[in-house]
Amino acid sequence: MYSAIVFLPLLGFLIAGLGGKKLGDRPSEIITTALLFVSCALSWITFVDVGLHDGHFSAPVLANWLTSGELKIDWSLRIDTLTSVMLIVVTTVSALVHLYSIGYMHEDSSRPRFFAYLSLFTFAMLMLVTSDNLAQMFFGWEGVGLASYLLIGFWYEKPSANAAAIKAFVVNRVGDFGFSLGMFLVFMLTGSIAFDTIFAAAPGLANKSVHAFGLDWNAMTLACLLLFMGAMGKSAQFLLHTWLPDAMEGPTPVSALIHAATMVTAGVFMVARLSPLFEQSATALTVVTLVGGITAFFAATVGLVQNDIKRVIAYSTCSQLGYMFVGLGVGGYALGIFHLFTHAFFKALLFLGAGSVIHALHHEQDMRRMGGLWSKIPVTFACMTIGTLALTGFPMTAGYFSKDAIIEGAFAAGGHSGVAMLAFVLLVVAAGMTSFYSWRLVFMTFFGERRWSEQYRLLHPEHDHGHDDHHHHVGEPHESPLTMMVPLFVLSIGALAAGYLFKGEFIGHAAGEFWRTSLFTGEHNHILHEMHEIPEWVGYAPFAMMVGGFVVALFMYVVAPKVPATLAGKFPALYKFLLNKWYFDELYDKIFVKPAFWLGRLFWKGGDGAIIDRLGPDGVAARVVDGAGFASRLQTGFIYNYAFAMLLGLAALITYGMFSLGGGQ
Amino acid sequence: MSVATAFFYLFSIITIASAAMVIVGRNPVHSVLFLILAFVSAAGLFVLTGAEFLAMLLVVVYVGAVMVLFLFVVMMLDVDFAQLQKTVGKYLPVGGLITLVVLAELVLVVGSWNVAPESVLSTPTPAGLSNTAALGQVLYTQYAYLFQAAGLVLLTAMIGAIVLTLHHRPNVKRQDISAQNARTRATAIENKHVPSRTGVPVP
Amino acid sequence: METLQLALVHALPEVILAIGVIAMVLVGAFRGKPDDGPMSEIAVVLLGAALVAIVLKTPGVSGVVFDNAFVDDRFGDFMKALALIGSIVTLLMAGDFFRGEGINKFEFPILVVLATLGMMMLISANGLIALYLGLELMSLALYVTAALSRDDARASEAGLKYFVLGALSSGMLLYGASLLYGFSGNVSFAGIAAAIGDHPNVGVIFGLVFLFTGLAFKMSVVPFHMWTPDVYEGAPTPVTAFFASAPKMAAVAIATRVIYTAFPGATHQWQQIVIFMSIASMALGAFAAIKQDNIKRLMAYSSIGHMGFALVGLAAGTEEGVKGVLFYMAIYLVMTLGAFAAILSMRVNGKPVEKISDLSGLDNTNRPMALFIALLMVSLSGVPPLAGFFAKWYVFLAAVQANLFTLAVIGVLCSAVAAFYYWRIIKVMYFDDAAPAFDKPSLTLRAVLAVSAVSMLLYWVYPAPLVQAADSAAKSLF
Repeated sequence: MYSAIVFLPLLGFLIAGLGGKKLGDRPSEIITTALLFVSCALSWITFVDVGLHDGHFSAPVLANWLTSGELKIDWSLRIDTLTSVMLIVVTTVSALVHLYSIGYMHEDSSRPRFFAYLSLFTFAMLMLVTSDNLAQMFFGWEGVGLASYLLIGFWYEKPSANAAAIKAFVVNRVGDFGFSLGMFLVFMLTGSIAFDTIFAAAPGLANKSVHAFGLDWNAMTLACLLLFMGAMGKSAQFLLHTWLPDAMEGPTPVSALIHAATMVTAGVFMVARLSPLFEQSATALTVVTLVGGITAFFAATVGLVQNDIKRVIAYSTCSQLGYMFVGLGVGGYALGIFHLFTHAFFKALLFLGAGSVIHALHHEQDMRRMGGLWSKIPVTFACMTIGTLALTGFPMTAGYFSKDAIIEGAFAAGGHSGVAMLAFVLLVVAAGMTSFYSWRLVFMTFFGERRWSEQYRLLHPEHDHGHDDHHHHVGEPHESPLTMMVPLFVLSIGALAAGYLFKGEFIGHAAGEFWRTSLFTGEHNHILHEMHEIPEWVGYAPFAMMVGGFVVALFMYVVAPKVPATLAGKFPALYKFLLNKWYFDELYDKIFVKPAFWLGRLFWKGGDGAIIDRLGPDGVAARVVDGAGFASRLQTGFIYNYAFAMLLGLAALITYGMFSLGGGQ
Repeated sequence: MSVATAFFYLFSIITIASAAMVIVGRNPVHSVLFLILAFVSAAGLFVLTGAEFLAMLLVVVYVGAVMVLFLFVVMMLDVDFAQLQKTVGKYLPVGGLITLVVLAELVLVVGSWNVAPESVLSTPTPAGLSNTAALGQVLYTQYAYLFQAAGLVLLTAMIGAIVLTLHHRPNVKRQDISAQNARTRATAIENKHVPSRTGVPVP
Repeated sequence: METLQLALVHALPEVILAIGVIAMVLVGAFRGKPDDGPMSEIAVVLLGAALVAIVLKTPGVSGVVFDNAFVDDRFGDFMKALALIGSIVTLLMAGDFFRGEGINKFEFPILVVLATLGMMMLISANGLIALYLGLELMSLALYVTAALSRDDARASEAGLKYFVLGALSSGMLLYGASLLYGFSGNVSFAGIAAAIGDHPNVGVIFGLVFLFTGLAFKMSVVPFHMWTPDVYEGAPTPVTAFFASAPKMAAVAIATRVIYTAFPGATHQWQQIVIFMSIASMALGAFAAIKQDNIKRLMAYSSIGHMGFALVGLAAGTEEGVKGVLFYMAIYLVMTLGAFAAILSMRVNGKPVEKISDLSGLDNTNRPMALFIALLMVSLSGVPPLAGFFAKWYVFLAAVQANLFTLAVIGVLCSAVAAFYYWRIIKVMYFDDAAPAFDKPSLTLRAVLAVSAVSMLLYWVYPAPLVQAADSAAKSLF
């Protein structure tokens, strides 16, 4: 059954990818989607079986991958509670996104390719979450990176999409480099990369040190930080976050699946999976907390002023990932995973809802050209509102349970760590900003005056931009087809109920029974208990911030719509600073990209072209041509020249024989 | 110095000198004549070593047949020898240098000649036999294989000469003696009855 | 002295050819027609009979007969078989060409048989006189065939050049032979080896150099190769095919035999000479061919290069080296015959063409032929897993085992340069615009091309027979 969960998407990929042209568009869609739904159903069965009932742990070995000396790597599926949670998140969202894409992509000309990529992604993601060793995890890790690259650049005729795809790939390389080094270090320390072995060995390595670059490093800290570097890249954490907003160039379902619900949470999953290692290094956990807090705050500030509907949600995702890392960093791995779980529902919902809006406005993404849509697409509006409520943490919605729990956990940990307290402050402020930009999105999109019609006509004067079959777009925006709405309904239910339903199992009294050995907590780690013994005001703080953010947004975008422009005019520097995302792209361009290009050109033109090519292939080739000309000219055609050459050769040989060969006697 | 030694040097000097003259001679006819002289002197050297059969062969075959043929060829072909002389002049310095080098080396080698002292060389005149008889004794026995091989070489040369020169030209009138002799009046003359006031059509 | 019967049994293939060729001359003369009629077929039967006589010979029977002039051993059998195959295939391929050109003289098969007889006598020569006679028998016949198309100025020029330079080389060889006789007092190889001992004096070395010069001319190795491109280009194509195949076998065989049986005491000395010639040939073969646009001329340089590679094995001076040489020559023979089958197939409207550009776009007009030629070119350039690679592998391996690293490295480099012009032909065939299509080649040509290409491609499937034959042939020389 476990194999079926993982390999059915691969089957779908192969069918749609290799036979898509022959099968046609619709069969490819149906096959991949159906396979995904089967996989999804099996995942829920697994979750109920493993997570809720007996929780037995198993890791069937499928095949030996490679064996080289000490290094032995197997293909195997590690099925425990953590995996089963990830399985349902991945397959559920993926199945819904497949379904949604049937409607959303119906105008596209290469749908089999799209669905093949989606299934490939799902397969890679499932390989990642079911891995039983670091190498298989890395395989899945790179697989999702590849699929992400392919899907961001799906509309490859758009230069911006290509650039975004490359950017995502390159930035992830930085993280992957860390991951690889971490993997090597773990192998060096334990002689294995299988989870069971390294988890068993981890406690004994707590105070070991390795010598590198002339310094002694704490082995566990170094390994964890290197591995966390990989997580930072994949989960778009502060400093390595720049690719995520650009990745919105891909189709919206892709954003929902990969860049909100699943792939970007791989980093969170990885840290949770490797909790036995991270528990051995307080330093590493502190770094995780700090990075998470800064990301949550930073991304929220940038989200305040963005105008592209998908970018706002993307920064929101970035910010929420920061929350998850704070949860992990303070030792509450269950907190992080719980937020991952709920976040998958409401963030996918928001993205798909945004997709529905974009679809209704025919690929218009700028919120300044929206407004007043609530009456045109009321169902989408309702779903988006549910998503927003969940995201902002409205009581009893999913986000209320998971996000507030992280904030409380951070405060509880703040009792013995300044960094955790700092993270707490950052998270609370970020919660307010989250509320503000989320409601800002809703108000700008659905309320106020309608700003879309004229731009809509201006933008598409003749309704001719490469898509056929768009006659129904002429005139009023309208509700999306059923294939797109059903996933919204399902996710809405998840966004509302997932927190309440699973609170007890994930972070409540039944947590120990639920997670069992899949998450490791050290003997001094009592974060899940401590978070219940905090002052009451801490519990109300995020709620207050949420209400505050809502009120401010309501005031600025509904009551007094002139205020934002005035504010931007009064604080131009701050506004620009935020609008330009703290100038990270410009900074990176100056520090890394430009010098890298310069260095590359130096090596290319100077090293490769002027030295290697000129002295190597080109030079040799030119000398060969010269030699050929010389050799051809020897052949004069005159018989006495030939005879002379023979005599010359003879004379040379006998002279040689005279002086060197005969000298022996 | 015995008479034989004196003749050896005489013949040697004449051979070398006339060989040189073959090359430097301006008139090709002179060159051919000098070549004949060289052959004759070489035949003399053979006689001195007791190989009279080879000496006779040299005179009969080379002087008597080959060189006379050469003479005809040279006199019948119109070769611009003045032109050849010029090109020789052009290549003389380099060619001469190479020649000198090779010559010097050969002289050095010959100077160190130590005729395989331990091995017994065949002599041209075994005990109790003339040179010709000795040759005859081995030619068809010991060297039968080589003799046959030489025969094949000559056969090849003959075939080659025919292939390259024999032209079967059509419409060439050839003399056929036997056909001429076999002619009778009947085959040679044809009587025709000619009606008056008409002619005979000329074939 | 052995009985005549024994001698004739040992020389049975030669006897068949000698008697047969005289019969052919008589038949040809008394038929009274200048065309070749059944002569080619008779010649093929004769050569085939000789080949059968060699193949069916009791293994392990060897002997020296005719008063030390003739040796019969596995080494000789191997090379004779190769030479016979070369001659037979040449004759099979030649008929159509000569008929098309109107020069189908009955003397051509006779001359080929005579030349082949010369080669076999040369291969079996066990003394200087037999060597010279075999060589001249072979050479005289070859001179004539080169000029066979006597109304063609280029062919006549080729024949004359070959003859004059060949005479010069024969003179050198004779001079060397006389020096050797003078310094060792022997004409048989074994006798020379015994007389030299382990300390050859400088006169012997001179004799060796002169003798080897004459053989090098026949092998067409640098610097005695100058005749090769002109003669290959000028001679009628079947004759060129003949020149490139059978005589090379004989020349390499006798060179190998001479240096291993007559000069084992002068290994260091001849090794230096062979290495020099080998490097010079490989380099010239690689570089000079690049600028050629006539495919026959290109094949001339190619054969010069290949002789250089074969000499690499010779230079090793070991049994492994000889095995490599034998192996190389066998593979070279098949590749060359295949390549010339392709060149003979290059006819447009009944007229032969021989520019490389005539092959343009062959893939569009004649796909199987293009494929086979491409296979042969890849094999000639020595790319695994085709047989040409294994040929080079064995000789280079022998050189490396004999510590001749420089030679092996230079050989590999030259091989890389040479790959250029082989692959250029493939490029021309597959990527250039189509030239006029060729006429449909005769069945024989198609068969020869296909068999040679496919055998090169699939050689690795069952290499044992050839390897074992080369192995036992090499052993018989030591």
